[in-house]
Amino acid sequence: MDIKDLKSLIKMVTETDISEFELENSEEKIRIKRGGAPEVVHYSAPQQVYAMPQGAPQFAAPAMQAAPGAAEAPAVEEKGKAITSPIVGTFYHAPAPDAPPYVTVGQVVEKGQVLCIVEAMKLMNEIEAEFRCKILKLCKENAHPVEYGDPLFIVEPL
Amino acid sequence: MRGGADHSRSGSLQGFDAQILALFRQQPTGFVSGEELSRDLGISRTAVWKHIKALRELGYQIEAIPSQGYRLVAAPDLLTAAELAAGLATIRIGRRFVCFKETASTNQVAFKLAEEGAEEGTVVVAEAQHSGKGRLGRHWQSPAGVNLYCSIIIRPPILPFNAPQLTFLTAVAVARAVEQSTTLKPRIKWPNDVLVNGRKVAGLLNEMSAETEGVNFVVLGIGVNINMRREQFPADLRHPATSLFLEGGKEVGRAIFVRALLTALDGLYDLYLNGGYAAIREEWLTRCNVTGKMVSVSFHDRTMTGVVVGVDDIGALLLELPDGRVERVLAGDVTIL
Repeated sequence: MDIKDLKSLIKMVTETDISEFELENSEEKIRIKRGGAPEVVHYSAPQQVYAMPQGAPQFAAPAMQAAPGAAEAPAVEEKGKAITSPIVGTFYHAPAPDAPPYVTVGQVVEKGQVLCIVEAMKLMNEIEAEFRCKILKLCKENAHPVEYGDPLFIVEPL
Repeated sequence: MRGGADHSRSGSLQGFDAQILALFRQQPTGFVSGEELSRDLGISRTAVWKHIKALRELGYQIEAIPSQGYRLVAAPDLLTAAELAAGLATIRIGRRFVCFKETASTNQVAFKLAEEGAEEGTVVVAEAQHSGKGRLGRHWQSPAGVNLYCSIIIRPPILPFNAPQLTFLTAVAVARAVEQSTTLKPRIKWPNDVLVNGRKVAGLLNEMSAETEGVNFVVLGIGVNINMRREQFPADLRHPATSLFLEGGKEVGRAIFVRALLTALDGLYDLYLNGGYAAIREEWLTRCNVTGKMVSVSFHDRTMTGVVVGVDDIGALLLELPDGRVERVLAGDVTIL
């Protein structure tokens, strides 16, 4: 479901008295919950698995073309933008096993703030927020594998 | 000579001190008169004498003979910009040195400098670290004056998903530097620890800043136990550790080791940028030699045991479990059984 459909779905639901709405099919699951608190949209994207490029390193052209197969960011800055993993690796929500997580659901994060670490081959990649946003959903469990392009967080740009 | 000294941060070698050493080194066997030093540096004879005195306090043996002048007899094994840059002929690595007597963590400093725009090839070195770090917030024991703690900033024009390949560069460079400066036979433990006689002498930790379409920079963190003594190791280490001194029975010149390391890394990085990843991976595989071995991998809260049936393109271990499934391992502590 694209952002436009999701938006009209939210609009449709909020125009009724329905307090909770759930839609599930083989590809995705959408849950909209209303109440005293602000509306929360849970969106579970399908597992996207991309093939790793083989062979020699691929050098980006000076202009830095986009990575092949990279998840397309929705053009519309709407609720439910996914922050995806730039590398294959292991997802960590905290800098150390006994440290508090970098971010939690509902938290507002500033541009440049660290959201998580993805580790591959002893290369630690701190994923930063590229814009000010609110964390709507954590898509991965701590210390679990992630594929290239997998959504790590669903955020609402602010 | 490359490698501009960053004197403001050094704390141990001021600009004139470094210049005096450079003048001595231009005439390794001869004398430099106080008058020449005074003229070349544009400072008074008294000031020259003060700098000579300061250098002697740092451990430099400087002979003074009336009517002939000063002569550098021996230099202490300090990791200062002046010492590290002396005779270093590299293309990219070591363009600039930032040296500390002590800092929290060289990776932390390098990451910050890189964010502020530090150029590719900047090398951050500390004589001691009080918050040296390993994977996942683990501590890296960093006593003063005996080891190497350094972090190197590179800005490769690659896509982020290829960046894990860089892990092999530093592992291979450290192994080559150990071979060059000792008679020891280093091995690489997957993915990039360097072992001598089964014990760890070097730990490497890389940190990347990237966006979807490109790598901003990568910090290559390298810790090598060079002349560390037995009593300087903590009792509760995760893995058996050692130093080049303990294994080889001889002290290793740290500045010499660092130059060997930076030279090896510079060559490998140049090769990498010119499409030589396959050759580097091949050398890493030969030195790592893990395929066919029975290993246990502990990761987070679980441990898997199996046989390594291969290593994939980015270097992940392909581990065949007892039930026949093949698990792809990208992170974890590996022990060969």
